[in-house]
Amino acid sequence: MVKQPTQSKQEIIITGFGGQGIVLAGRILGMAAALKDDKESTLVQSYGPESRGGACCAQVVISDDAIQYPYITTPDVLVCMSQAAYLKYYKSVTPEGFLLTDKDLVKPVSDRDCFSIPSTRMAEELGRKMMANIIMIGFTTAITQLVSKKAAEYAVTSSVPKGTEEMNTKAFNKGYDYGKSLLKGRAQKASGKKRANA
Amino acid sequence: MDNFKIVLFLCNWSPHAAFQKLQDLSFDIPAEINMIRIPCTGRISKALLFKAFEMGADGVALAGCSPGTCRYGSGTENAIKNTQDTRDILDIMGLGSERMRLETFLPDETDKMYQFLSTFTSDLKTMGKTPIKGFRSDEIPEDPKQSITKIIAEYDAYACLDCGKCTSSCPLALSGKDFSPRALVTSLIEGDITSETIKENIWSCLTCGVCYNRCPSEVNFPELIQKVRAHTTKDITGQNRLTHGGFFQSLMRSMTHSDIQQKRWQTLPKDIKTDPDSKILFHGGCAPYFDIFFRNHHKVENSDILENALKLLNFFDVTPAVLENERCCGHDLLWSGDRNNFLKLAKLNQKILNDSGIDEIITACPECYRTFAHDYPANGIDLNFKVTHLYEFLENEIDKSAVTFDGPEGRFTFQDSCRLNGLDEIKDLPRKLINRFASGNFQEMQDSKDGALCCGNSAWTGCDAYSKALQVKRIHQAKKTKSDFMITACPKCRIHLGCAMEDPFEGGKLKMELTDLTNIIAEHICWE
Repeated sequence: MVKQPTQSKQEIIITGFGGQGIVLAGRILGMAAALKDDKESTLVQSYGPESRGGACCAQVVISDDAIQYPYITTPDVLVCMSQAAYLKYYKSVTPEGFLLTDKDLVKPVSDRDCFSIPSTRMAEELGRKMMANIIMIGFTTAITQLVSKKAAEYAVTSSVPKGTEEMNTKAFNKGYDYGKSLLKGRAQKASGKKRANA
Repeated sequence: MDNFKIVLFLCNWSPHAAFQKLQDLSFDIPAEINMIRIPCTGRISKALLFKAFEMGADGVALAGCSPGTCRYGSGTENAIKNTQDTRDILDIMGLGSERMRLETFLPDETDKMYQFLSTFTSDLKTMGKTPIKGFRSDEIPEDPKQSITKIIAEYDAYACLDCGKCTSSCPLALSGKDFSPRALVTSLIEGDITSETIKENIWSCLTCGVCYNRCPSEVNFPELIQKVRAHTTKDITGQNRLTHGGFFQSLMRSMTHSDIQQKRWQTLPKDIKTDPDSKILFHGGCAPYFDIFFRNHHKVENSDILENALKLLNFFDVTPAVLENERCCGHDLLWSGDRNNFLKLAKLNQKILNDSGIDEIITACPECYRTFAHDYPANGIDLNFKVTHLYEFLENEIDKSAVTFDGPEGRFTFQDSCRLNGLDEIKDLPRKLINRFASGNFQEMQDSKDGALCCGNSAWTGCDAYSKALQVKRIHQAKKTKSDFMITACPKCRIHLGCAMEDPFEGGKLKMELTDLTNIIAEHICWE
């Protein structure tokens, strides 16, 4: 299931409630690709009443070449941080694409394989619920390898408020480690080693 | 010529008759054999059998009556069990089980006796001398009074306000024993080290540390006791207070000999991966010895903790080294007053471990952890690697990993380990880990955390009716939580509380599932 992004163009939709930092997450991903990974990127953000609490959406395109059209209908990567967003978009992901969700906020309704992380809970444990988006960026980076870890970390630290860089780097790494561990766990499971005590 | 030493415990009845006839007929009994006449082989405990080895015997033979002819009924049967246990322990020790033999005789089996003795002697000569060279007794300081004064000053026991909070919170005092930390401190300050209070009480303390937590003057009573025990004179020695005949102290003292070559990990399952070149060493602890020693007493199994700990390390992609000749950390020697041999053992460990080039040692035993991380440096034994408790490793890994638990179902309560509770950096970890799988089904006992009741014994000293009362009280507390599992963090808590659950007067009322935290985690952790 897990594939390296081979296409030269990757389309990403990040979606959830307004206020979860969805747009910022999209911005950071795009920045990472454009500023450090030597790629092109665009961001289309839903702007309006959503930012006060409704469904919210950020569409990011990352490409090796110039991007002609920034809107997305069938994303290669879909990140969902709310149930409503999940229900609205989950069918649109390309068959070989990645579906990423917040484990506690999204209850899957289809058999489609998805990667989930309790990002909001983790952020609460770290002390700030609002960092769930940064954890999600770390997780997305680890699972999809859309952008390099270094680029994503740079984009995170240069996008968050001054003085919170360290905390956000921690959150980013938390999501990243979890993603790596999830991939490792799947590999272990596939080779028949699901448990410590077989 | 090598001077072989063979001890022959000879039962007063059938074998003695056979032996006497050998003497009457002027048989050439090997000169290496030192015969000790005893009333019955059944009374030669494992501690006595092993004591001979600790004192440098090359071989020990036990000659008893043929099965069915024991005058006391069960003597031979006991001797068979004791022999088997001791032989298995000698095997792990690397001395070889063949150094200990039991044979049974009828009164007229003179030839059989002669054969037995000469074969045993020649076999031992083939095996060579024991690696245990000479007996290591406790060293006695020259001026005990001076040392005691220094200890009191070191722990600032002069700051005692005589408030009595220690005694009113002491689990032992609360179980009815005439024991008072406050009175003991007062007597120590008075200076008469040979007074009855001191003689009696320094060996009663369980060193659990509840009094230290309560003390407004922060007198570290457990460590004070530890130091005082190490500086007592011969006439108030705690030797007669050691449990199980001092077997475990003998075992640990034997490990102070550098020529010992143990075989600790022979029974490790094949699916557990270890790597002798790893920079991480897993230190198992003495559970394999405990398991053999107690296997006829009640079903003690603590080796499973070591195996499960290794499985957990493997699960998180750590392939640690294990030492075939791993030595005891010395915890029980230190806390039962034999500081001299503790230091010998610690220095030997220091040399072996520091030279092995490891970066980190991981252990699942609270006592090993505390001893390596805290007591070694406090006694000037510096280690050049990091000491980690398995719980630290697990909490760190589980926190960043996509793992989950598929059980167990039920309610849980937790028996605190006094050695972990004494260390701030680690005392909260067991509960953190339990809450990861208990999902709200965790219930504290009435006394918990800093005020937790001890399991009733420490460092294999002072087991009596009051320890038992304490243990029974603790199990009743656990029962009150309506838990299905009582989780322990220390092999000894598991042994002692398991023993109390066998109480014949309480019938099955005290029975409950008793398991180690490491085991539960290893059995139920799985990838998301």
